[in-house]
Amino acid sequence: MTTDDPTAPLDPVRRLHVMAAGIHGAHVTEGVVDAPFDRVWAVMADLEGEFGRFQPDMHSLRVTRRDGERVAALARSRYGMRARFDGVLRPGWCWLQSRFLIVGMAAVADGAGATRVALTGGVRVPGRAALVPLGTRREPRLALARLRQRVGASR
Amino acid sequence: MADPDDHSRGVALARAARRGDTLAMSDLLDHLTPYVGRICGRICGPAAAAGRQDAVQETLTAVFRGLRSLRDPEALYGWVRVLAVREAVRTARRDGRDTPAELAALPSPGDAQLAADIRDVLGRLSPEHRAVLLLRDVEGLDERAAAGLLGIPEGTVKSRLHRARTVFRRMWTA
Repeated sequence: MTTDDPTAPLDPVRRLHVMAAGIHGAHVTEGVVDAPFDRVWAVMADLEGEFGRFQPDMHSLRVTRRDGERVAALARSRYGMRARFDGVLRPGWCWLQSRFLIVGMAAVADGAGATRVALTGGVRVPGRAALVPLGTRREPRLALARLRQRVGASR
Repeated sequence: MADPDDHSRGVALARAARRGDTLAMSDLLDHLTPYVGRICGRICGPAAAAGRQDAVQETLTAVFRGLRSLRDPEALYGWVRVLAVREAVRTARRDGRDTPAELAALPSPGDAQLAADIRDVLGRLSPEHRAVLLLRDVEGLDERAAAGLLGIPEGTVKSRLHRARTVFRRMWTA
Protein backbone atom coordinates (compact mmCIF):
# COMPACT_ATOMS: atom_id res chain seq x y z
CA MET A 1 0.00 0.00 0.00
CA THR A 2 1.39 3.37 -0.94
CA THR A 3 0.88 6.18 1.53
CA ASP A 4 -0.75 8.72 -0.76
CA ASP A 5 -2.89 6.43 -2.90
CA PRO A 6 -6.54 7.59 -2.64
CA THR A 7 -7.75 4.19 -3.80
CA ALA A 8 -5.97 2.29 -0.99
CA PRO A 9 -8.52 0.65 1.31
CA LEU A 10 -7.20 2.49 4.36
CA ASP A 11 -4.46 5.11 4.67
CA PRO A 12 -1.98 4.89 7.59
CA VAL A 13 -3.51 7.75 9.61
CA ARG A 14 -6.92 6.08 9.46
CA ARG A 15 -5.22 2.80 10.44
CA LEU A 16 -3.81 4.45 13.56
CA HIS A 17 -7.32 5.56 14.57
CA VAL A 18 -8.53 1.97 14.14
CA MET A 19 -5.68 0.66 16.31
CA ALA A 20 -6.41 3.24 19.02
CA ALA A 21 -10.10 2.29 18.97
CA GLY A 22 -9.08 -1.24 19.94
CA ILE A 23 -6.78 -0.15 22.79
CA HIS A 24 -8.59 1.05 25.87
CA GLY A 25 -7.27 4.45 26.99
CA ALA A 26 -5.34 5.16 23.77
CA HIS A 27 -5.53 8.65 22.34
CA VAL A 28 -4.53 9.79 18.84
CA THR A 29 -2.86 13.16 18.37
CA GLU A 30 -3.21 14.26 14.77
CA GLY A 31 -1.90 17.28 12.91
CA VAL A 32 -0.51 18.57 9.64
CA VAL A 33 3.22 19.17 9.21
CA ASP A 34 4.03 21.72 6.54
CA ALA A 35 6.53 19.64 4.60
CA PRO A 36 6.35 16.88 1.97
CA PHE A 37 5.76 13.31 3.09
CA ASP A 38 9.25 12.06 2.20
CA ARG A 39 10.93 14.68 4.38
CA VAL A 40 8.58 14.18 7.32
CA TRP A 41 8.82 10.42 7.19
CA ALA A 42 12.62 10.56 6.93
CA VAL A 43 12.59 12.19 10.40
CA MET A 44 9.91 9.94 11.91
CA ALA A 45 11.46 6.70 10.66
CA ASP A 46 14.99 7.57 11.77
CA LEU A 47 14.71 5.34 14.83
CA GLU A 48 18.36 5.56 15.86
CA GLY A 49 18.59 9.33 15.38
CA GLU A 50 15.64 11.72 15.20
CA PHE A 51 13.20 9.40 16.98
CA GLY A 52 14.92 10.00 20.33
CA ARG A 53 14.88 13.75 19.70
CA PHE A 54 11.14 14.16 19.19
CA GLN A 55 9.67 11.35 21.34
CA PRO A 56 9.54 12.86 24.86
CA ASP A 57 10.30 9.70 26.82
CA MET A 58 13.00 8.25 24.56
CA HIS A 59 16.65 8.96 25.11
CA SER A 60 18.04 6.62 22.50
CA LEU A 61 17.11 3.60 20.48
CA ARG A 62 19.30 1.03 18.75
CA VAL A 63 17.91 -1.24 16.05
CA THR A 64 19.14 -4.78 16.70
CA ARG A 65 17.40 -6.59 13.86
CA ARG A 66 15.61 -5.77 10.61
CA ASP A 67 13.78 -8.36 8.56
CA GLY A 68 11.70 -6.74 5.84
CA GLU A 69 9.19 -4.55 7.68
CA ARG A 70 9.96 -6.19 11.03
CA VAL A 71 12.26 -4.44 13.46
CA ALA A 72 13.61 -5.21 16.91
CA ALA A 73 15.24 -2.48 18.96
CA LEU A 74 16.70 -1.70 22.35
CA ALA A 75 15.56 1.59 23.81
CA ARG A 76 16.68 3.63 26.77
CA SER A 77 14.24 6.07 28.33
CA ARG A 78 15.16 9.49 29.72
CA TYR A 79 14.77 7.94 33.17
CA GLY A 80 17.37 5.26 32.44
CA MET A 81 15.02 2.30 31.93
CA ARG A 82 15.74 -0.09 29.10
CA ALA A 83 13.19 -1.81 26.93
CA ARG A 84 13.26 -4.27 24.06
CA PHE A 85 10.83 -3.29 21.31
CA ASP A 86 9.42 -5.42 18.52
CA GLY A 87 7.53 -3.82 15.72
CA VAL A 88 6.73 -2.95 12.14
CA LEU A 89 8.29 -0.10 10.17
CA ARG A 90 7.32 0.80 6.61
CA PRO A 91 6.66 4.07 4.76
CA GLY A 92 3.90 5.90 6.65
CA TRP A 93 3.52 3.31 9.39
CA CYS A 94 5.44 2.43 12.56
CA TRP A 95 4.14 0.31 15.42
CA LEU A 96 6.49 -0.60 18.27
CA GLN A 97 5.66 -2.64 21.34
CA SER A 98 7.72 -3.55 24.40
CA ARG A 99 6.55 -5.34 27.51
CA PHE A 100 5.54 -2.03 29.07
CA LEU A 101 5.27 0.51 26.25
CA ILE A 102 3.53 1.13 22.92
CA VAL A 103 4.56 3.66 20.27
CA GLY A 104 2.41 4.16 17.16
CA MET A 105 3.15 6.62 14.33
CA ALA A 106 1.47 7.21 10.98
CA ALA A 107 1.84 9.71 8.15
CA VAL A 108 0.18 10.34 4.82
CA ALA A 109 0.63 12.98 2.12
CA ASP A 110 -1.94 15.74 2.63
CA GLY A 111 -2.38 17.81 -0.48
CA ALA A 112 0.50 19.59 -2.12
CA GLY A 113 3.61 19.70 0.04
CA ALA A 114 2.04 18.87 3.42
CA THR A 115 1.83 15.72 5.52
CA ARG A 116 -0.86 14.55 7.92
CA VAL A 117 0.71 12.90 10.96
CA ALA A 118 -0.85 10.87 13.77
CA LEU A 119 0.79 9.65 16.98
CA THR A 120 -0.33 7.43 19.84
CA GLY A 121 1.19 5.41 22.64
CA GLY A 122 1.75 5.05 26.34
CA VAL A 123 2.33 2.57 29.15
CA ARG A 124 0.67 -0.83 28.65
CA VAL A 125 -1.68 -2.56 31.03
CA PRO A 126 -0.33 -6.16 31.23
CA GLY A 127 -2.46 -8.81 29.52
CA ARG A 128 -4.90 -6.39 27.92
CA ALA A 129 -5.08 -4.10 24.92
CA ALA A 130 -5.10 -1.08 27.21
CA LEU A 131 -2.94 1.84 28.29
CA VAL A 132 -2.44 3.28 31.74
CA PRO A 133 -4.18 6.68 31.64
CA LEU A 134 -1.02 8.71 32.24
CA GLY A 135 0.43 11.02 29.59
CA THR A 136 -1.53 9.46 26.72
CA ARG A 137 -2.57 12.93 25.52
CA ARG A 138 0.28 15.12 26.68
CA GLU A 139 3.22 13.09 25.38
CA PRO A 140 2.03 12.61 21.77
CA ARG A 141 1.11 16.31 21.67
CA LEU A 142 4.62 17.19 22.80
CA ALA A 143 6.06 14.73 20.29
CA LEU A 144 4.13 16.37 17.45
CA ALA A 145 5.40 19.83 18.43
CA ARG A 146 8.98 18.54 18.55
CA LEU A 147 8.52 16.67 15.27
CA ARG A 148 7.54 19.93 13.56
CA GLN A 149 10.74 21.51 14.92
CA ARG A 150 12.91 18.60 13.78
CA VAL A 151 11.36 18.59 10.28
CA GLY A 152 11.91 22.36 10.13
CA ALA A 153 15.54 21.85 11.13
CA SER A 154 16.01 19.21 8.43
CA ARG A 155 15.45 21.68 5.54
CA MET B 1 -13.99 -15.81 1.12
CA ALA B 2 -10.71 -16.45 2.93
CA ASP B 3 -8.73 -19.55 1.95
CA PRO B 4 -7.90 -22.05 4.75
CA ASP B 5 -4.38 -20.69 5.38
CA ASP B 6 -5.64 -17.11 5.49
CA HIS B 7 -8.46 -18.17 7.76
CA SER B 8 -6.08 -19.90 10.22
CA ARG B 9 -3.72 -16.93 10.26
CA GLY B 10 -6.57 -14.46 10.85
CA VAL B 11 -7.98 -16.54 13.70
CA ALA B 12 -4.52 -16.92 15.31
CA LEU B 13 -3.92 -13.17 15.10
CA ALA B 14 -7.37 -12.46 16.55
CA ARG B 15 -6.61 -14.76 19.51
CA ALA B 16 -3.27 -13.02 20.15
CA ALA B 17 -4.88 -9.59 19.82
CA ARG B 18 -7.54 -10.56 22.38
CA ARG B 19 -4.73 -11.33 24.82
CA GLY B 20 -3.50 -7.75 24.53
CA ASP B 21 -0.72 -8.22 21.95
CA THR B 22 -0.93 -4.93 20.02
CA LEU B 23 1.65 -6.02 17.43
CA ALA B 24 -0.72 -8.88 16.59
CA MET B 25 -3.44 -6.22 16.29
CA SER B 26 -1.33 -4.35 13.74
CA ASP B 27 -0.81 -7.60 11.80
CA LEU B 28 -4.52 -8.41 12.04
CA LEU B 29 -5.30 -4.98 10.64
CA ASP B 30 -2.96 -5.66 7.67
CA HIS B 31 -4.60 -9.04 7.25
CA LEU B 32 -8.23 -7.89 7.31
CA THR B 33 -7.95 -4.59 5.44
CA PRO B 34 -7.88 -6.05 1.88
CA TYR B 35 -10.78 -8.38 2.72
CA VAL B 36 -12.89 -5.55 4.15
CA GLY B 37 -11.74 -3.25 1.32
CA ARG B 38 -13.03 -5.68 -1.31
CA ILE B 39 -16.45 -5.98 0.33
CA CYS B 40 -16.82 -2.23 0.88
CA GLY B 41 -15.45 -1.42 -2.60
CA ARG B 42 -18.02 -3.62 -4.28
CA ILE B 43 -20.90 -2.07 -2.36
CA CYS B 44 -19.75 1.56 -2.25
CA GLY B 45 -19.09 1.48 -5.99
CA PRO B 46 -16.04 2.15 -8.15
CA ALA B 47 -16.12 5.96 -8.07
CA ALA B 48 -16.26 6.34 -4.30
CA ALA B 49 -12.69 6.13 -2.95
CA ALA B 50 -13.33 8.39 0.07
CA GLY B 51 -16.62 6.69 0.92
CA ARG B 52 -14.93 3.33 0.64
CA GLN B 53 -12.18 4.41 3.06
CA ASP B 54 -14.87 5.65 5.47
CA ALA B 55 -16.68 2.32 5.27
CA VAL B 56 -13.44 0.34 5.73
CA GLN B 57 -12.39 2.48 8.70
CA GLU B 58 -15.82 2.22 10.37
CA THR B 59 -15.88 -1.53 9.83
CA LEU B 60 -12.41 -2.13 11.24
CA THR B 61 -13.06 0.22 14.17
CA ALA B 62 -16.14 -1.85 15.04
CA VAL B 63 -14.09 -5.04 14.64
CA PHE B 64 -11.31 -3.84 16.96
CA ARG B 65 -13.72 -2.44 19.55
CA GLY B 66 -15.68 -5.68 19.58
CA LEU B 67 -12.81 -8.15 19.33
CA ARG B 68 -12.82 -9.02 23.03
CA SER B 69 -16.55 -9.70 22.96
CA LEU B 70 -16.35 -12.05 19.96
CA ARG B 71 -17.30 -15.38 21.55
CA ASP B 72 -15.65 -17.65 19.02
CA PRO B 73 -12.60 -16.35 17.11
CA GLU B 74 -13.27 -19.07 14.50
CA ALA B 75 -16.30 -16.97 13.51
CA LEU B 76 -14.04 -13.97 12.75
CA TYR B 77 -14.63 -13.75 9.00
CA GLY B 78 -18.41 -14.13 9.13
CA TRP B 79 -18.57 -11.47 11.81
CA VAL B 80 -16.27 -9.09 9.90
CA ARG B 81 -18.33 -9.60 6.75
CA VAL B 82 -21.57 -8.69 8.54
CA LEU B 83 -20.01 -5.47 9.82
CA ALA B 84 -18.46 -4.62 6.43
CA VAL B 85 -21.71 -5.05 4.49
CA ARG B 86 -23.67 -2.98 7.00
CA GLU B 87 -21.10 -0.17 7.10
CA ALA B 88 -20.73 -0.11 3.30
CA VAL B 89 -24.49 0.12 2.73
CA ARG B 90 -24.77 2.80 5.43
CA THR B 91 -21.89 4.85 3.97
CA ALA B 92 -23.21 4.58 0.41
CA ARG B 93 -26.65 5.75 1.57
CA ARG B 94 -25.12 8.62 3.54
CA ASP B 95 -23.12 9.81 0.54
CA GLY B 96 -26.22 9.90 -1.62
CA ARG B 97 -24.99 7.36 -4.10
CA ASP B 98 -28.14 5.31 -3.76
CA THR B 99 -29.91 6.80 -6.75
CA PRO B 100 -29.55 4.63 -9.84
CA ALA B 101 -28.23 6.47 -12.88
CA GLU B 102 -30.39 7.28 -15.88
CA LEU B 103 -30.15 4.52 -18.42
CA ALA B 104 -29.15 7.01 -21.13
CA ALA B 105 -26.01 7.84 -19.10
CA LEU B 106 -24.71 4.29 -19.39
CA PRO B 107 -21.87 3.42 -21.75
CA SER B 108 -22.75 1.21 -24.67
CA PRO B 109 -21.74 -2.43 -24.24
CA GLY B 110 -18.51 -3.16 -26.06
CA ASP B 111 -16.96 0.26 -25.43
CA ALA B 112 -14.69 -1.16 -22.74
CA GLN B 113 -13.57 -4.55 -21.53
CA LEU B 114 -16.21 -6.87 -20.20
CA ALA B 115 -15.05 -6.79 -16.57
CA ALA B 116 -14.94 -3.00 -16.57
CA ASP B 117 -18.46 -2.90 -18.01
CA ILE B 118 -19.75 -5.21 -15.30
CA ARG B 119 -18.10 -3.11 -12.58
CA ASP B 120 -19.53 0.01 -14.15
CA VAL B 121 -23.09 -1.31 -14.26
CA LEU B 122 -22.80 -2.62 -10.71
CA GLY B 123 -21.62 0.83 -9.65
CA ARG B 124 -24.84 2.33 -10.98
CA LEU B 125 -27.13 0.14 -8.92
CA SER B 126 -28.38 1.30 -5.54
CA PRO B 127 -26.24 -0.01 -2.60
CA GLU B 128 -29.07 -2.29 -1.49
CA HIS B 129 -29.35 -3.87 -4.94
CA ARG B 130 -25.59 -4.10 -5.29
CA ALA B 131 -25.20 -5.75 -1.88
CA VAL B 132 -27.86 -8.39 -2.48
CA LEU B 133 -26.59 -9.15 -6.00
CA LEU B 134 -23.01 -9.54 -4.79
CA LEU B 135 -23.90 -11.67 -1.78
CA ARG B 136 -26.17 -14.02 -3.73
CA ASP B 137 -24.67 -14.13 -7.24
CA VAL B 138 -20.98 -13.41 -6.59
CA GLU B 139 -20.32 -14.60 -3.01
CA GLY B 140 -22.78 -17.49 -3.48
CA LEU B 141 -24.61 -17.08 -0.15
CA ASP B 142 -28.11 -18.53 0.23
CA GLU B 143 -31.13 -16.34 0.97
CA ARG B 144 -31.04 -16.96 4.70
CA ALA B 145 -27.33 -16.05 5.02
CA ALA B 146 -27.76 -12.93 2.87
CA ALA B 147 -30.80 -11.92 4.94
CA GLY B 148 -28.78 -12.35 8.15
CA LEU B 149 -25.91 -10.25 6.82
CA LEU B 150 -28.14 -7.46 5.60
CA GLY B 151 -30.47 -7.53 8.60
CA ILE B 152 -33.61 -7.94 6.45
CA PRO B 153 -36.23 -10.72 6.09
CA GLU B 154 -35.63 -13.54 3.59
CA GLY B 155 -38.67 -12.44 1.59
CA THR B 156 -37.12 -9.01 1.15
CA VAL B 157 -33.86 -10.59 -0.08
CA LYS B 158 -35.87 -12.53 -2.65
CA SER B 159 -37.82 -9.53 -3.96
CA ARG B 160 -34.78 -7.24 -3.83
CA LEU B 161 -32.68 -9.79 -5.73
CA HIS B 162 -35.35 -10.14 -8.40
CA ARG B 163 -35.50 -6.38 -8.81
CA ALA B 164 -31.66 -6.06 -8.78
CA ARG B 165 -31.28 -8.70 -11.51
CA THR B 166 -33.96 -7.01 -13.61
CA VAL B 167 -32.30 -3.60 -13.30
CA PHE B 168 -28.86 -5.07 -14.00
CA ARG B 169 -30.18 -6.84 -17.10
CA ARG B 170 -31.88 -3.69 -18.35
CA MET B 171 -28.77 -1.58 -17.84
CA TRP B 172 -26.54 -4.22 -19.36
CA THR B 173 -28.58 -4.51 -22.56
CA ALA B 174 -29.35 -0.81 -22.89
